[in-house]
Order: sequence, then structure tokens, then C-alpha cells
Amino acid sequence: MAALIMKKPNFQKHRRNLLKQLAALPLGAGVSMLGSNDALAMDCSNSKSLVCLFLAGGADSFNMFVPGSDRAYTDYINSRGPIAIPESGLLNVSDADQGAFGFNSLLPAFRGLYEQDRLAVVSNVGTLIRPTSQSDYLAEQALPESLFAHNTQQKLWQTGAGIVSGASGFGWGGAIASHATSCNGPAAVTPAFSIAGTSAWLESANSRYISLNADFAVERMFGLDNISDWIPSNRLSRVGRTIEDLIAQGEASGNPAMLRTIADGLDQASIATTALHSALLRNTLPQMQFDSKNKLAKQLHLVARLISAREELGMSRQVFFVLMGGFDTHSDQGEREPVLMRELNDAVLAFQDTIDDIGAANSVTSFTASDFGRTLTSNGNGTDHGWGGHNFVFGGAVDGGRIVGQMPNYSSTNNPDEASERDGTFAGRLIPQISVNQYGATLSRWMGVSEAELSAALPDLQNFATSDLGFMRS
Amino acid sequence: MKLQSILRVFLPLAFSVTLSACGEGVVVDGGSAGGGSGPVTGVTPVNSPNNPTNTPSNPDAGPSSPAQAPDTADFSAGSLSDADVAAARFLTQATFGPNLDTIAEFRQLGSIDAWIDRQVSLPMSTTRDYTLENSNGSLRGPRHDGWWNNVVDNEDQLRQRMAFALSQLFVISDIDFALGNAQYAITEYYDMLAEGAFGNFRTLLEDVTLHPTMGVYLSMVRNEKADVANNIRPDENYAREVMQLFTIGLFEMNMRGEPIPAGNPRPAYTQTDIEEFARVFTGWNYPNVRSWEDNNIVPAAFEGRMVPNENFHDRGAKNLLNGAVAPAGLSAQQDLNAALDNIFQHQNVPPFIAKHFIQRFVTSNPTPEYIERVANVFANNGNGERGDLEAVIRAVLNDDEARNGHLTLTNFGKIKEPVLRWSQLWRALDAVPGERANGVHSTADFPMSRLDDMTGQAVLRSPSVFNFFEPDNPLSAGSQLQSPEMQIMSEANLATTHNNWHHQIYRFNNRSAEDLGGDNPRVTIIDLEPLTRLATNRNDLLDWYNLVLFAGGMPSEMRNTLSQFASAYRTTSDDRFALVQDTLFLILTTPQIQWQR
Repeated sequence: MAALIMKKPNFQKHRRNLLKQLAALPLGAGVSMLGSNDALAMDCSNSKSLVCLFLAGGADSFNMFVPGSDRAYTDYINSRGPIAIPESGLLNVSDADQGAFGFNSLLPAFRGLYEQDRLAVVSNVGTLIRPTSQSDYLAEQALPESLFAHNTQQKLWQTGAGIVSGASGFGWGGAIASHATSCNGPAAVTPAFSIAGTSAWLESANSRYISLNADFAVERMFGLDNISDWIPSNRLSRVGRTIEDLIAQGEASGNPAMLRTIADGLDQASIATTALHSALLRNTLPQMQFDSKNKLAKQLHLVARLISAREELGMSRQVFFVLMGGFDTHSDQGEREPVLMRELNDAVLAFQDTIDDIGAANSVTSFTASDFGRTLTSNGNGTDHGWGGHNFVFGGAVDGGRIVGQMPNYSSTNNPDEASERDGTFAGRLIPQISVNQYGATLSRWMGVSEAELSAALPDLQNFATSDLGFMRS
Repeated sequence: MKLQSILRVFLPLAFSVTLSACGEGVVVDGGSAGGGSGPVTGVTPVNSPNNPTNTPSNPDAGPSSPAQAPDTADFSAGSLSDADVAAARFLTQATFGPNLDTIAEFRQLGSIDAWIDRQVSLPMSTTRDYTLENSNGSLRGPRHDGWWNNVVDNEDQLRQRMAFALSQLFVISDIDFALGNAQYAITEYYDMLAEGAFGNFRTLLEDVTLHPTMGVYLSMVRNEKADVANNIRPDENYAREVMQLFTIGLFEMNMRGEPIPAGNPRPAYTQTDIEEFARVFTGWNYPNVRSWEDNNIVPAAFEGRMVPNENFHDRGAKNLLNGAVAPAGLSAQQDLNAALDNIFQHQNVPPFIAKHFIQRFVTSNPTPEYIERVANVFANNGNGERGDLEAVIRAVLNDDEARNGHLTLTNFGKIKEPVLRWSQLWRALDAVPGERANGVHSTADFPMSRLDDMTGQAVLRSPSVFNFFEPDNPLSAGSQLQSPEMQIMSEANLATTHNNWHHQIYRFNNRSAEDLGGDNPRVTIIDLEPLTRLATNRNDLLDWYNLVLFAGGMPSEMRNTLSQFASAYRTTSDDRFALVQDTLFLILTTPQIQWQR
């Protein structure tokens, strides 16, 4: 929840009152009443939602999308050894420029979207400060901080920065959310959601995000707003008011930051649950079919519900962060990988079907991100931390059915993309050829983020030849 | 009644103040109890017959108005005795929560060191015995149930807090399927941490390294030497995380815990170092299996420590940290000794471990001087021993900053971990398992094994080896302050926790427990009767809250608000019970109590 904190101190009392007034109005009316002139000047006409699927632990994307030409596939087999996907485990697709490839056969939904030209593969993307060659790597020139370390690389992916301290902790999703807030007008609830706890991606200096839990209905907080089955009515409203008073005392501007922060979090929790609870109750919810054990699908179901309520919530722009763990497959990859692939595939399939059903196909874009790619080589029955990896963008607005960027070299000898060389041995940690900055900028621009906002959010973007990878239709 | 006998500081007060109507339907029945003006609270009575408008129904008019909040909060201890407050503060840091008994016991023992002496000598509670009896090895609830019984009821509090802190350093977790069926071994791991809580760090580090659960969790078990021809390398998982997360951290630092050189710190190790250590950690297998590749991992494979198999160990020379070399030809055990010694002697370890324990027990943002003082004790306990954990925890808790930091440092303290909030309440209020709970605790909404679903935290159930939260998690984005615990204080967790307090207080208490109807008779019941008796004088009640739940740190403004709030209640037993419910709910759901000072 670092997210919640003190962007706008001392607004709480007003905010809660505003919220209560809003709740009494048809929501559309409330929003337009509050909309600023600035918002009217922007192109906020068509609703858009962006969903980040973070594959935590470092997804082995080299086994999700595999080269298909004879020569590249042979390199792939030689490098990966026991953890290579056999030909029988691949679903063939082709790219107009780069030839034959295969999706992992446990990812038929990915292949299906690719065949519909609604999914693009972004090849070998990762954290970079500037274009980096093998000799740059060996000379340690302008390398991102703490390569191969989970937490640092997650932060750099989500903030677009090359060093943790340079990022101020703000993410490029947060920059989109900040833009969205201006687009949406001062709606009661911020249009940025994590369904997976803290997310550096959504941190912003100018806007908040809300962290929800897919395992729970968005439930109102008992004791507040006269909600309780068990507090007798003659005591209830005093209890609620006094809670609000005590929270406001904690938020007072002269208080130490530790106290203000937790107080603000409680206040934000009450605002968010109140507003979302009623909107989700009123709104006709999209049904989504999935196995109840599929945690990613459960998160995406909540995302789908919030998307289906976006007009009612006054959110013409929304950003979402969901997360699937378990990708740190150092061992037993043969057993773990299929479980992960099935869960991911089923969740994406169910979610995209739902989005199509509610008529939002062209206004919802989803993309994967991960700590890093993994080593091409194995440690016998698993893989270790790498750097660049493939990622996937899908939705009706994606110019898909193709590979964005040049596929890397999979060879274990004289590989120009290889990052770590020790005594001539080959690990297959691949230097990214596309920067997170470029990937993020392309998605942010689709969400309407201006060039000025982009260069502020992604300062290293200027180091790359193109800031738009072209995989989004406008 | 023990409350009264121990709380000798609470002078009996004459009931003299009249209640006033508050417009909320609370019945007022003439002359009854209210706030005294005696020496107990120092709170000016705001609710006198001469001031009928100044009631809780108009809170903005009173001194609790947020508009009149002082520039710096006043955290005076009111009228509580300094010694009681000092004891409660210490026990809030060092145990799973104080109560009047432990406060009295601490005062009787007379000093922190005497208290620690006794704690170290107490018999150790285990989680394994309970789990052996109640789990088939796969059932995940029992290890939590046994653990909660220990921390709520048992006396070896410091050892258990140490073990809990160590479990957040040497992290394993069964949230994934990998250790799901190893419940006995997980409890053995936890008990090993408790056993080693006052021992030497180097010993514990080796026990952790060779424990089969760690072998599985960070995949060192069956890690093999390289097969260069087939592009197969040793597994780097344990090599990386033992350095990054268990001992050294990412950057070189001084004894004050500051990265060096300032502004552009040097990485403490390189990718090449990790590859070298990965070669060290090769050749270890489960105990009690028939062969290196035996896939029949029976429960006995988790009994004891991993065993070496030299055929799979890389016997080449390895470059260690700080220029040291493990020469060629060493056995798996010899290599391990050399590598763990090398790590243990690294200059980062004293401040790294010092900061970990300071953050888990005392404060999220220790001064560099505090870190250095504790780090020096880690480096040398005074008798030339490095890594003496008992000496380290004594240094952490005895330090002047731990004892007095709240008086001088604005952001001293930490946001309370969820687990500690539950244990604090239950220990303070003599909580007992529900009537049909078979002697195990449960929250109103979830069994203890799923506390993480609601709060982001349950023992040995973190989402990854990065624990529930990271030590340098910023208090808020861009903040220079750190607050690990804030990482899991999401709106969702705060809202569900809030609702759980509501259910606990209004539904699962001693009076409603007999009438639960369709509600869950397995939920832990808190006993509000002692507080209801104490509430005959509302200042006594507020003093109890201030002492036991706030360790003397309840802000005076908050106290005024609660005092006003309380003035509307009659002194009948039912009304006093209602007053206890309502004030306890107010206290638990508001931010002030979540900041441990």
C-alpha cells in the first residue's frame, strides 16, 4: 500500500462527503458536474483499459514462444537441453518476415489470438538504460542496477528506470493513471487498481491506486456509514463518526509520516470500498467461466467486472495490475511449467472471451511483463535468472499476428546476444534488444499519454531510436 | 480481581458526573458515572451538566476537532506510572503482546537483562509435536494452530519472537505446492530456528542451508556439478539468495548499514561470484533416500539434514568473496564450510543482521549509530565470539534508542505486523478458542492457516523468499522513510481486517458466545468482562487501553475523543459492556494503535 499515501493531505473529510453526494446522484451526472476544463480538452471520448499481467519470478518465455526454423530450433534444442520443448509440444505459427515459430502447446489461447492478429509477440525485451551490446556488457557500460536480482529487476521493469534510486519509486503505469485521472475528472475513486498488492508500476506522484483482493467481494467496512448487523442502531452512527474523527486525527498534517500514512490508508480503504461496492452491486456483472483454483483468472474476473462498470464509475481510462507467481523455475521445471502454462492460458482465454462478450474487445489491451527472462541453458532440471525475454500484448487494438523486433540468437557458441561469459562457458542470459521504455511508451501512448508525460515518466526513452514499437492500432 | 490489584495506580474515583443526552438514542438515566477530574487521566472533563452542547454528537466542537490538531502530536503517557509504561513498551517490542500479568512479572524481575535471562532459561515450545499429532503431513492447518497456541499462551515469548523474526530472514514457505506435503519438516525447520534463537548465527546458517525444506525451497537439493558438453550449469538459486537475502545484501556497506561508497555503492558480489558459489552448493541430497535420483521422496527424506554425494559435487577450485579461494579437491562438506565461513566473515553481515532484528522488534528506521552498536555486538559479543544471537537481541532491546527513541525521534517505531496485532489483542484479553474449535484459535473470518489471505501474513507462508515485505520498502512512494510492513497494508487487507475486528468484538465475545446460533462456534472468543468491570470508571478503562494496547502512547487528543465518547454510557452492566465493545472497536480500527512506538 505504499500506494495510498498522502498524495493529497487533508482532503479526507471533504472527500468522504463528496463521495456521499456522488452516491446519491446518477454517476454520469456526478462526473460531468465535476469534470474539469482540462479534461474536456483531452481526447477522453472512448473508454480504454490497460491490464498488466505480471509473471512474477521471471517467466521462462523462451519455452512459451519457440523458434521454428530448422537452424534456430536446433540451436534452441542444443542450448536448452533437457528443458527444451519438443516439436510435438509446439503449435505452429508464422511471422511474415521471420518465418516459422511455435507457441507452447499449453498456450492455445495465445496461438488463437495470434492467428486472429490480436496478439503480438514482443521479442527479447528487458531493462535497458540505452542500447547495449555484448562489449558494453563486458565493459559494464550503463548497465541496469543489480541485474538478475528479482526485486531490483521487478522494480526496474515497473518503473522503467535503470537504477532503483533514480526511479523515485514511480511507475509508468502510474503515469498512465495520472493522465487518466485528468481525463476522468476528479471521480471519487482513482482509476488505477492492483489486484495483487503493492505495485511499483502504479506508483505516481500525482495519483493513487487501489489494491483489491480477488478472494473477497469488495465489502463495505462495518461500523462506517451506518453499516452493521450487530452494533445496535442507537450506537452505530456515533461509532462510525468517531472512527472517522480518529482517522482524521491520525491524518493531521502535523503528525509524523508513519502515523499519517497508515491513517490515510484506512481512509482510502473506506472510500474505495464504499464506492466500488455500490458500483459493482448495481452493475450487471459479466460472468466468466474458470476453474476456481485459477488465481490469475480470479483476479482477471474482478478486472472484467471493473471494466464493465467503467462508465458508471466515471472512468474513461483505467489501468490494472494483476500478478501470477511461481515462475521462478529453478528446479522441476518439467513439472512446474505445464501447471503455470495451463493456468495462464485458461485465465487469458476466459478473460478475453469475457471482454469480447461485453463489447470491449477494441478498448481493452493486456500485456505481460516479468522480472526477467531466464537462462537459455538449464541447471539440469530448471533454469536460472536471465535478462531479456519475450512478452505478449493482446486485445482488439493490437496490431498482432506478428513478432515485434528481431528474434534473438539461440546458439550456445559465439552468441552475440549472450550477457555472461565465464571461461568461455555459455549461460544464455540474453541482452535485451528492446527496452522496457519502448514497450511501455507504446502502450502508454495508446492510453493517450502525451509525449511530454512520456518523457517525464520514462526518461531513458530518448536513448532509443524509436519510442513507438508500432504494435498498437490507434 | 487481578486487574484492580495490579493496577494499583488507578485511584478509586467518586462517580460524580452526569451524563448528557447525545441525540443518538442512548438512554440517559440521571446521575451516573463519567470522567473524573482527579490525577488519573489529566483529561479535563468536557461533558459536564454545565456544558451540555459539548457532546459526542458534536465532535467538531470539542478539543478533538481535527482542525485544532496540534502541530506535533502529544504522546504523553497520562497518569500511568513510568515503570508500568516502560514495561509495557518493552514487552510490546519483545513479546507477542503485553498484559497485566506480564507487565507485573517484568517489574518484579527488575531489568531487561533479568527478564531475558529468564526467557532464555524457559523450556521451548515446539510446533512439531502438535503437528505430528494433528496433521497427516499434508494438512496445513495444524502447524498454524500449534504455533498460535504457543504464542498466545506460552511463556517462552522472546524465543518465539526470535524464531518468528528468523523465519522472516531465512524464509521458506508452503504457499506453493513444493512444500505442501512436508508439514512435519516445516515445523521441524521452525523449531530449529527457535532452538537456535539464542545460539550462534554461523551454526544456524549451516543448519538452514542443509535443511531439506530449504533444499527444496531454494532448490539446492540435488544440485549437480556442471555438464559442460550439454550446456548444463549448477543451480544458482541458493547461492544468490543466501547472499542477497540471508546475510550480505546487494551492496557493500559499513558497520552503520550505509551503502558504500555513498551515492554510488559497489555491488557486494558479482554474477561470477554467484556462479562460483553455485558450484560450492553442489552434491547434496535428501537424507534417507536410496539414490541420487530416487523419486520416492518419503517423509523420512525430510528427517535430518541433507547428505553429501561426492559424485555430484564440483571438486574444482572456487573463488569466494574478498579474494578467498576454496582450493580444488575439497569435499562437499569442506567446500560448504569454507563458503559459509567466507560469507559469515563478510563485513556486511553484522549490520545486515543488526538491521533485520532492529526492524522486526523495534523500529523501521534505526539511526546508523543504533545499527552500528548492534553490529559491533554481532561482530564481537565481548568474549571474542562473532554471531552470538543472544547477545545481539540483548543489544537490540537494551539500546538507548529502543528504550527512548520514541521521545526524541519523530518517526521512531514501526507499523505493526498483522500477526502481532492479533496476538496482542488475544493475549491482552485472555482469548480462548471457540467452544467447538478443538482448542485451536481462529479469527472471525478465517482459520489461522489463511490469515495471509486476509492480511498478507501467516507464519512461513510468504509469497516468495522475499518475505511478506522487504526491509527497504518505502513508507510511501518517494519517501526516504522505510516501512517494511506498509508493503502489505493494502486497502483490501485494511478493509477485511477492519471487518474482522467488527465481527470479533460484536459477535465473538464472552457474552454473545452462548448465543452464536448459526455463526461459527470455532471462532476465538475474547473476554470483555474484566474490562466491563473496569469500565465502572471510564478513566480506568482508558488507562488500561493506554497501558496495555498503546504502551502509554495513546495520543492525548485521541484520549479526549474517547473520553467524550464514553460519557454517554450509563453504568449498568449492559451499558458498560457496550462501552467496552464500542471503545475497543474504535481503538482497533483507528490508525494510532497500528503505529508501535
